[in-house]
Parts: sequence; C-alpha cells; structure tokens
Amino acid sequence: MEDQVCPRCRTTKYRNPSLKLMVNVCGHSLCESCVDLLFLKGSGSCPECGVPLRRSNFRVQLFEDPVIEKEVDIRKRVLRDYNKKEEDFSSLEEYNDYLEEIEEIIYNLTNGLNTVETNKRIDQYKKENKDVIMKNKMKISKTDIELEELLEIEKQMDEMRKLDQVREEVESKKKKMKIKEAMIDELMFSQGDAKDIVNTFNTNLEEELKKSEKIPDRSTQFSTGIKFGKGTSDFMSTRLEEGPLFVYSPPEIQIEGPVPPCWSDMASYAPHVRITSVDERAGGYDVTLGVLRALQEACFGLYFKNTTS
Amino acid sequence: MFPTSTQRKHWMFKDEAELYALRVETNRKYIENYLSKFGAAAHPVLSVEEEKALLKFYEYSMMRDIYKRFQPPMPKAVIGTAFNYFKRFYLNNSVMNYHPKEILVTCVYLSCKVEEFNVSISQFVSNIKGDQKKAADVIINNELLLMQQLNYHLTVHNPFRPIEGFLIDIKVRSQLGDPDKLRPEIDELIEKLYLTDGCLLYSPSQIALAAILHSASKNKENLDSYVTQILLGGDASRLTDLIEAVRKIRIMSKPSDVYQPNKELIRAIEKKLELCRNEENNPDSQIYKEKMLELLDGDERPRKIAKVVRKSHVDAKPLSSAASDLDLSP
Repeated sequence: MEDQVCPRCRTTKYRNPSLKLMVNVCGHSLCESCVDLLFLKGSGSCPECGVPLRRSNFRVQLFEDPVIEKEVDIRKRVLRDYNKKEEDFSSLEEYNDYLEEIEEIIYNLTNGLNTVETNKRIDQYKKENKDVIMKNKMKISKTDIELEELLEIEKQMDEMRKLDQVREEVESKKKKMKIKEAMIDELMFSQGDAKDIVNTFNTNLEEELKKSEKIPDRSTQFSTGIKFGKGTSDFMSTRLEEGPLFVYSPPEIQIEGPVPPCWSDMASYAPHVRITSVDERAGGYDVTLGVLRALQEACFGLYFKNTTS
Repeated sequence: MFPTSTQRKHWMFKDEAELYALRVETNRKYIENYLSKFGAAAHPVLSVEEEKALLKFYEYSMMRDIYKRFQPPMPKAVIGTAFNYFKRFYLNNSVMNYHPKEILVTCVYLSCKVEEFNVSISQFVSNIKGDQKKAADVIINNELLLMQQLNYHLTVHNPFRPIEGFLIDIKVRSQLGDPDKLRPEIDELIEKLYLTDGCLLYSPSQIALAAILHSASKNKENLDSYVTQILLGGDASRLTDLIEAVRKIRIMSKPSDVYQPNKELIRAIEKKLELCRNEENNPDSQIYKEKMLELLDGDERPRKIAKVVRKSHVDAKPLSSAASDLDLSP
C-alpha cells in the first residue's frame, strides 16, 4: 500500500497519509480530492478513458489492483440479472454451463473484449428471462432464509446471555449488600473485637462471591448451525457395519511331493551353512530361510505327473 | 510354489506326443492362412520338422552365443527362464510367423527383467553382434507381443534352486561326503536338457533330482538309499513314477551328447523361411513399415517404432541377407 499513487495528481500515501483512492465502474482510480475537484457538478468523464461517470458511483478502492475492483463491480452488475439458482435447472451440467457463461461475460467485460456483443447478449438474456429474473429477485432463496434463521437464533441467544449476566450481577450486588448490613449490625450490637468481626465477614464475603461465580455457559453451536462439544453429532458420521468376524484358517500348502524338512530340523543343517552376517540379520534375513526355501522347492512337485493337458 | 503356479497349470504337458500335436496344429494354421492369402504365388513352406530343427539351432546358439558370452555374466536362472519363454512362445506361434532370431533376444531380455538381473537395453544389446540399434528396436517392439503370447505367465520355476536344496539335503542326511563335486555333470545335464522339451514335461524338482542322480552315477556314487529311504521315507508307491520320470529325463538329454548343428540344413531352412515368412512381422519388409506408419498416425506414443521405420529406409537391403543381421548363423 506504500506506493499507492493517484494517477492524476501524483500524490502518494507517503506525502498525504490520508490519501484515499476511489474507483468507479471503469476501473480507473482517482484520489478523493481529485474526485471532489473533477466531479464538482456530480458527473463527468474519467480522465483516463473518457467514460462518463457519476460521482455517486465512486467507491473506496478495497483492492490494490483496480482491475479487480472493476471486476467486482461488473460481477455485481451482471449477477443482478443473472440470478438463476441451481433449482432453476434440470441438471447439474446445465447449471454449470450457465455459470460458465456468466464467467465468460464478466471476463469479456473486464478485459474489454467484444464489449458490444457481450452487452447485446446481456440485453437479450434480460428480455428472454424477464419474468424469471423478477421472480428470483422477489424470492429470497432457501439458503438465504436458512441463514437468516440462524442469525436470528444467534441474536436471541446473545440477548438471553446478556439478560442472564445482568441478573447475576444484580443478585451478587444484593448479596454483598446483605452481608455488609449484617456486618454493620454485628458491629453495632456485638461485644467482640471490631477487627475480628470485619475479618470474618470479609472471608465470608469472598467465599460467597466464589460460589456465585458460575462457569459461563459455553456456546454449543457454530454460526453455521453445527453443534459441537455435545459428543454425538450426525454430521459426517458414518455408521460402521459389522460383518461376520474374521476366522483364521491356516493356508493349505500343496506339496505334491515328500514333506520338506521344517524349521525345527534346521539345527542339523547349520554346520553346512555359512553364518548369517550382522548386516543381513539387521534386515531380518537369516540364512536358514534360504535353505528352507531351497529344500521346499526341491520337494515341491516331486510327485508331479501330468495326466491331463 | 510350483504346485500352485501358472507353470504347473498352463505350461506342463502330458507327453511329447501332445507337444507334437500342438506344433502340427500351429504349423497347419499358419500354412492355411498363408496359402489363402497368396494362393498360387505361395512359396514352399516349412514342415514341423524343419521348424523344430531351426528352433533347436537357435536354442543352441542362445546357449552358446548369449548365455556363455554375456557381460556381465548372467545367473543361470535368467537363461533358464528365457528358455522356458522361448519354448512356450513357439508352441502357439509358427516360426514362419515370427522369426526366432528376434524372439530369442526378446526372451532373454524379458527374463533378465523378471529374474531381477538388472541390465539396461543399451548394455544388453552391446552383447549382440550386428546392428545394435536395430536390435534394441526389435527387442522393445517385440516385448509386449511376447508377454501377451505368454499369457503374462512370467514366473518360471527353474530347477536351479531345487538342485541347491537337494545338495544341502544330501550333505546333511546321506553318507555322501562331498556333493559339490557332482556339480559339473549336473550343469552339463541341465544345459543339454534345455535343448529338449524337458521343462515342458517334468517339474523342476524332478529335473533337479534327475540331474543329481545322473551326476552321481557318472561319479560312481550311490544315492539310491537317500532317495528311497530318506527322501521318500520308504513310500514305495511313489517310487516307480519318480524313477520313470528320472529315467526319461536322462534319456532325453542323452542323444544330444554334443549337439552339432547341421550347417547345410540350417542354411537351407533359413533360405526357405525368408520366402515364406509372414512379411507383416518382418521389420525389413515394406508391409511392416506401412503397418507401423499406419499405427503411428494419430498415435503419439510409439516413437521407438518410428525409429525402426526410418532406419530401415536407410539400410533397405535384399531380403535374403536380413537373417544374418544378428549374426547368429554358424
């Protein structure tokens, strides 16, 4: 934002800290004082592109890039007419095509491509869909209604909370007053040491206050209406279906030959096998594994006799 | 595990007669197709016996020229798997349809991958005499075809691991002192057996046992008690079948004591083959180039194929010399 500069008077943010850039529908920015100066009469033309502008249409530039401002502006204008909702289409594809068309129009207008043609297109669309546009303008869509309801609920909750707070405050004040009065009575009529009495009452008071300080109700709803903190929520929770339990059955090994020596027989093979190196053992390998495999493969298929083709 | 493998299920056959019948059928199919295409203009075709002789010669050259000379030296399992692929491929495909010289190198290349013997294609073709770039293109173009013809049954159980298993078992459970001295004869038998149909008829462990028993008898050792008592645990009912299998395997590998290719015959068959082979699968033919160009149209992928086409335009040579490109002739 440091290098914001008015294209007309060349004032920068540095020289004039209160500089405010304004932008109009054409997407060219001007500083506030230039707008005051140029549009004294209420209307005039843009000093950069000469498009006739109204003063009332000037807005404070929110984005650094004026092109984006322009696009936002155009989008607002186009969407005023292209206000169909998804419910107005028979299929998702059609709706997507419609959205695509809107984007195309906005892009064309923003970048000044086929402006005349595009405006014609908009006009034609307006004519063709006059009643639909009107209807949609009147109708607040379902989502809008839901949102409003939510906001309403939130407002009510807020008010309730405020009322609660006020009531509590009043009550605690009353309590304090009562204790104070009791203390004064005590001081007036009892014979004990005044210091002791004050001390005991003070500790009493503190305890009372602690008790009344309740933990404030935590809100249990997001603004979107999703409940939280209450454990079970049916949002995104999937029900697990439990099938029959897995029953392990040992794999059936077809040997088609004599039974090969097994792990427990390996001791007698050890003298003829080299010792597993440390590196091999680190990877979980043992030379006997190789021996076992060789022995198994020697036995597998030894009785093989092909009778069918 | 062999008993549950695709090898056991799909690629083991009853006997040699069944294999012969399959080959006759393959040969007949090609000839029928060929004759219907060319009619009177057809050249004389190869018989089943001629095809077999040519395949055997190429198997022999695979052993001699590729396996024995390959750098870096390849493990035995690689060449064993390659032999299996080669034999399986030509059960259902005629020699006249795909030239064995091309399928052979593709088999070895594929089995290098499957057996985890890591060589790049450039390293691989540097072991092949002749035009290496062309060889690389041929291999890569044929690789998918080969896998398809193998039905993607790529795992092959070779007899090498069972041999190791038997040897260590003999060391532990028999009286034979030093079984390692049996190795030279074992290797010899396995090598010879790969020039036969043994691996399509007998399980790898049977072949391994046969090789060991063969070597033991050559070394004047006796392993009979090990087999009958320890291995089979005295189960006599199984013994006859096993002995029969071992005997047959040993007979199979005997006649080719030293295989001597009949050079005159091979040359004659090659000549005949050049005339009757399927030109659509010959990378030097005009039809093949046109087919590849057609494939190329609208397909952005096969840049490799394009290379073959462009290359073979350059060295367009007469058909008869094409077979000697990989220089496998005797």
